[in-house]
Amino acid sequence: MIPDDAVERLLESAHAIGKACEQAGVQQWEVFATQEYGHSLEIEAGRISMASGGGEGGFGIRVVEDGRYGYAHLVDPNTAARAIRQAIGIAKLSPSIDGFELPSNQDASKVGGMKDKSILDMGPEDLLEQGDDILTKVAELDSRAVAVGGGVGVSAGAGAIVTSSGIEDGGIHTAHGVGVHVSIDEDEHLTSSYEGESSRFLLKDLTASVEKAVHWSQITRNKIPGGETQDCPVLMTSDGFSPLFSVVVPAAIKGERLARGESFWSGKMDQMVMANHLSLIDDGLMEGGMSSGSRDGEGVPSRTQTLVDSGRLSGEIWATRDAAKLVAEGKVSSAKSTGSAARGGHTSPPLCGCSDLILSSSDKTLSRDRLIEEMETGYIVHSVMGAHTANPTSGDFSVTTSTILRVEAGEIIGSLSQAGLSGNLAKALAGRVVLGESAKRKGSYSTGSMHVTDVLLMDGLRINPA
Amino acid sequence: MVVTSPQNNSPFSSGRLLDEDRITKALNLASSLGATYSEIRLVSETTNTASLKDGKLERAIPGQEVGVTMRILADGAWGVHSTSDIASIVDQVESTFRLAKAVAARRAPSQTVVELAEVPIIEDEIHWKSVKDVRKTDLDQRIEMMLAIDNEAKDDERIVSTSTGWSDEHIHTELMTSEGMNRVWSFQRSLINGMVTARDGDDVVSYRMRHGGEGGLEVIEKCDLGEMGRNAKISALRLLSAERAPSGRMPLVADRDLTGVYIHEALGHPCEADLVAAGDSCLEGRLGETIGSEICTVIDDPTLRGGYGCYPIDDEGVNPRPKNLIVNGVLTEYLNHRETAHRYDLEPNGGARAQDGLHHPLVRMSNTVIQGGTHKDLDDLIEDIDFGIYACGSRGGQVDTGRGSFQFAAQEAWIIENGSLSRPVKDVSVSGMTLQILKDVDGLTRDSHLAAPGFCGKGQTVPVGDGGPLMRIKEALVG
Repeated sequence: MIPDDAVERLLESAHAIGKACEQAGVQQWEVFATQEYGHSLEIEAGRISMASGGGEGGFGIRVVEDGRYGYAHLVDPNTAARAIRQAIGIAKLSPSIDGFELPSNQDASKVGGMKDKSILDMGPEDLLEQGDDILTKVAELDSRAVAVGGGVGVSAGAGAIVTSSGIEDGGIHTAHGVGVHVSIDEDEHLTSSYEGESSRFLLKDLTASVEKAVHWSQITRNKIPGGETQDCPVLMTSDGFSPLFSVVVPAAIKGERLARGESFWSGKMDQMVMANHLSLIDDGLMEGGMSSGSRDGEGVPSRTQTLVDSGRLSGEIWATRDAAKLVAEGKVSSAKSTGSAARGGHTSPPLCGCSDLILSSSDKTLSRDRLIEEMETGYIVHSVMGAHTANPTSGDFSVTTSTILRVEAGEIIGSLSQAGLSGNLAKALAGRVVLGESAKRKGSYSTGSMHVTDVLLMDGLRINPA
Repeated sequence: MVVTSPQNNSPFSSGRLLDEDRITKALNLASSLGATYSEIRLVSETTNTASLKDGKLERAIPGQEVGVTMRILADGAWGVHSTSDIASIVDQVESTFRLAKAVAARRAPSQTVVELAEVPIIEDEIHWKSVKDVRKTDLDQRIEMMLAIDNEAKDDERIVSTSTGWSDEHIHTELMTSEGMNRVWSFQRSLINGMVTARDGDDVVSYRMRHGGEGGLEVIEKCDLGEMGRNAKISALRLLSAERAPSGRMPLVADRDLTGVYIHEALGHPCEADLVAAGDSCLEGRLGETIGSEICTVIDDPTLRGGYGCYPIDDEGVNPRPKNLIVNGVLTEYLNHRETAHRYDLEPNGGARAQDGLHHPLVRMSNTVIQGGTHKDLDDLIEDIDFGIYACGSRGGQVDTGRGSFQFAAQEAWIIENGSLSRPVKDVSVSGMTLQILKDVDGLTRDSHLAAPGFCGKGQTVPVGDGGPLMRIKEALVG
């Protein structure tokens, strides 16, 4: 799927661009390069509707002159001279930040599990067989169920970074992902569920997502009357919780937002901000982590750091320029990179963001059945609409769910057609919280990957049945 | 090389990037292999983004991205190849043809064969000229205009930070098909935005604003940027003291922004014929049915120049036209592309859009607007409401097209009491079911126009416009 010498080719081009920077008299430069290849198929209306493949890539150039920086991106390295001129021009208009320099070269630990050779060897036919398996499984599990959407994809990418300060690194990563949207439409009553997962390794059992999607489409068919609006405990499955968590929490732990008063945790360093058994860890070195690697997006060695330790805010994340800027502005007395520069590909300069973010508990974690017993009376929410409308500044959110089950006396008694779910996530996490077993990696509305379990939030949430 | 020449620097050049001879040979090869249709579409985007943080330049990023996508239809199924290495595209014909054949081989006899509706085969170039070519805008000018917002947004000690942003793009597209279509088009979009964050003790809020549309620098120059900044500051400070919104069913009045998001989410997405074909739309089989109040007429119009969702030609080479989605409450048209137009025996209406040159076209909205009604103004809409919500500004929305349920969130809101606005509230979201709430629209002000520009995600992200008049819904689920 990817040429054997993909990294070498990127490094060669990056060095050539770096040389052009030097010829242009640039003091400090960084060249970030990516090249991605992949195959995918789309499922629609119970069939494979399309198969596709391809590749894309490019280069990002960051130049730094006397604490000022400029950035430009390009696809064809032969046009680098123009991009370098643009970056230099922008740097001249940028504010000079005392102490801002590109990161120096430091030894970085290798992180395993970034690629799986079996993915590299996969072709379109392999994916088509996986698509067949998904469709067959849906039909086997419930003759009423239809996979109305979804797909399967594999990708392999090469990345490289070369800087004037001696950083030179590169590597290959792979990914395999599946998503399936199942509907059951019977008796003028439609229920549905979307499930998916992805991994750096070949997913061994794609049908696990199918089973979940069919399961949730089935168990939400037993509708009961909505009832009154109430403040009550809510058990959010990891699928339902992670979108809200990913909009609200990663923004709150950024050093710049904390320093500027833009985080609901601003001014609360060393204070309790979550329940005293909860911890929040940003792990940039997770083996096989979708957002991990030996270095961050600007070449600083990745690290694992505890941001909330037993409920107490204990850390924050920084990229190099943000740290220098906030120190220069006098907003913080000291700050330096925590290896938390994330990139959205070659078109994006490095920006502060989390990597593999883990919410954990020192208390005994419970199975979903035990969490339901613990809740006694309340609701289970498995998916939400509108998580991206949550307010990361305040933690307030007001979303809608159509995958919601009513629990009374520890038993599921039925499903609501639709309900609003609102509250403040920061306050809810500071209240009574119980975590489920086995954190699952989920995608994110922001940078990084979320590793969250089922979460029972006892306080601060409101359910507003339709 | 497939690249013949770089685009020249003259405004809206007709310089071609695809080598027509080599592309024609590639398309002929696909036909000789047995493809019933093939196309190669190239998109070159010249972009500039910039942002200020607290009035200082945070980043400015010029970019030049090129992507090319080949689609091959064989035995009624699609194979697709996309790459930023445009010279390599002609080498992918056989493998992409085989992909299409492999997909077709898996189709059950009962499943639909992909066929395309016939469209006029056109060879031409259309270049929508901006009044002020945005590629000629200096970074200094961009900064100055962002500062015009920033300077007015922060003179209060409770404003803890301001952010402003800029985005412009010149989009050049070339499409060649096995049917002989050979079209080139280009146009520009420009956008400016900002966010104000205010804090009082532990209470922290933010307010966002956005202005933009199809066109060059003139789009931004039309906007009173200082007023935009002042209004954002006032709104952010008002939110600081606002109480949490009540929950429950109540009358709702929406401003133009929210009316636009509502009509986009609740109606526009379920009208996309690819979702109808996938069995994922609550409007399947309902063409000709009354699905809304008779005062509702909704149009999606890609030709509405200046709207953020405009385009001169759709990404299958079809001339777009306004689509009357609902006329006086009756569902009259789906948005379609050639595949779905054939499937439902509809006239192709030019609704195919791709995010860029690396994506294949899907059925998408453009500028979606509900037409005006008979109410004079806001006072006229709320005078007989005893208790309800007036909600303004969008924080986005989402829809489950299959179930027909949707949600959207407001930036700020007021309680309506005894026919008047009483006090501000925050964190208002509204949800409902498409087939119910369209019938509950019982008031629209007379004047209708596009509101703030937006972006729509459907696996791919495309710019859209939406709007309308002020709209009253007699009962909506709030909170």
